[in-house]
Amino acid sequence: MTRAEFIERLKDIMQIEENDIDEDTNMRNLAGFDSLAVLSIIALIDEHFQKTIRASEFKNVTTIKSLIELIGPEKFE
Amino acid sequence: MNPTIIAIEYFLPNIEIDNQQLEKEFPDWDSKKIEDKVGIKTRHVVQADETALDIALKAADKILKYYNKELIDFLLFCTESPDYFLPPNACLLQDRLKLPTSIGALDYNLGCSGYIYGLAIAKGLIRAGIAKSILLIMAETYTKYIHKRDKSNRTIFGDGAAATIIESFEQSHIGEFVFGTDGSGYENLIVPCGGHRERKAHYHQEIEDPPGSFRTRQNLYMNGQEIFNFTINNVPRLVEQVLLKNNITIDQIDCVVFHQANKYILNYLRKKMGIPQEKFYINMEQTGNTVSATIPIALKDCLTNNIIKKGDKVLLVGFGVGYSWGGTVISI
Repeated sequence: MTRAEFIERLKDIMQIEENDIDEDTNMRNLAGFDSLAVLSIIALIDEHFQKTIRASEFKNVTTIKSLIELIGPEKFE
Repeated sequence: MNPTIIAIEYFLPNIEIDNQQLEKEFPDWDSKKIEDKVGIKTRHVVQADETALDIALKAADKILKYYNKELIDFLLFCTESPDYFLPPNACLLQDRLKLPTSIGALDYNLGCSGYIYGLAIAKGLIRAGIAKSILLIMAETYTKYIHKRDKSNRTIFGDGAAATIIESFEQSHIGEFVFGTDGSGYENLIVPCGGHRERKAHYHQEIEDPPGSFRTRQNLYMNGQEIFNFTINNVPRLVEQVLLKNNITIDQIDCVVFHQANKYILNYLRKKMGIPQEKFYINMEQTGNTVSATIPIALKDCLTNNIIKKGDKVLLVGFGVGYSWGGTVISI
């Protein structure tokens, strides 16, 4: 998965249509970032990167970039 | 000897809280979203003076309308919200149900995996010649632990009780079991106060976590993310092991009944394990997550609605608080 595709998937999960979402967007400011979105993001990461993200690690995630860093940039195409 | 489930009945308390009511209490909560993603429309809640024991009695009464109580020689009561620390609540059940005083009776404390363990204990008691007819009752009232302003937990959990009779019966049986326990996850689904580790709360302030949801140390706490992680990391392997131990493939299974936690998690697991949608039962619309009662309630509904028929092979999987998990295959 490319970083751009990942951002599209995140937009789907949070039900965002705007195009000005990029890696510097702080997800915590988005209305769609609720507890269900968090589960969906964890599921996405499990499915595509076979990685478990602990709740304590996820707590520090703010921007999409910080999430990519957590997953590991090398895991993206 | 072929221990098997002979009958199941359940009871849901009368007060219902539907999504529209939750929306009124939590204005930024979207009832359509809850219905779509979580799969719950309404959940039942006990009254202030109604306990798990009370609803256990009501479920048992239903079954004893047609099953002769004099035949019962063992009672198993699974709850995490007992009336008393002691005496065992199963003793009160024996008395109130007027079961023979010659029976064995005990409480056991499990949540979402409770029914699987109950079936295993019952099978063992019958196979060992210790008992012939077991009354297994699950009853849970998590709503009593949940803070009024805990948005997520109030959405998910409902109260309910289910009674099952297990006896030996020729044509059907309870298969082999796989269990698992991992106490390192104990803090992720917990009521911190009230037991002897912390009898009275160390502090009484309300904690806001996650934003918009409130609780104190006397309330239920669930770390949804960690529970989700635990589930996706353990349940697929559990299912593999249960199928292997029962010498059966998923193609030969007629119906899959998981602990009905929430629609999102169940759908994710189903897809991850490649189980066809038509044999995977998901329904917590009218009940919410009733913890240890979800599996027997689902089984009963499947039987009533002809989703399962006599002779069908059903995969049962329970997982959750503890962490504790277990699975088996039954032929109903």
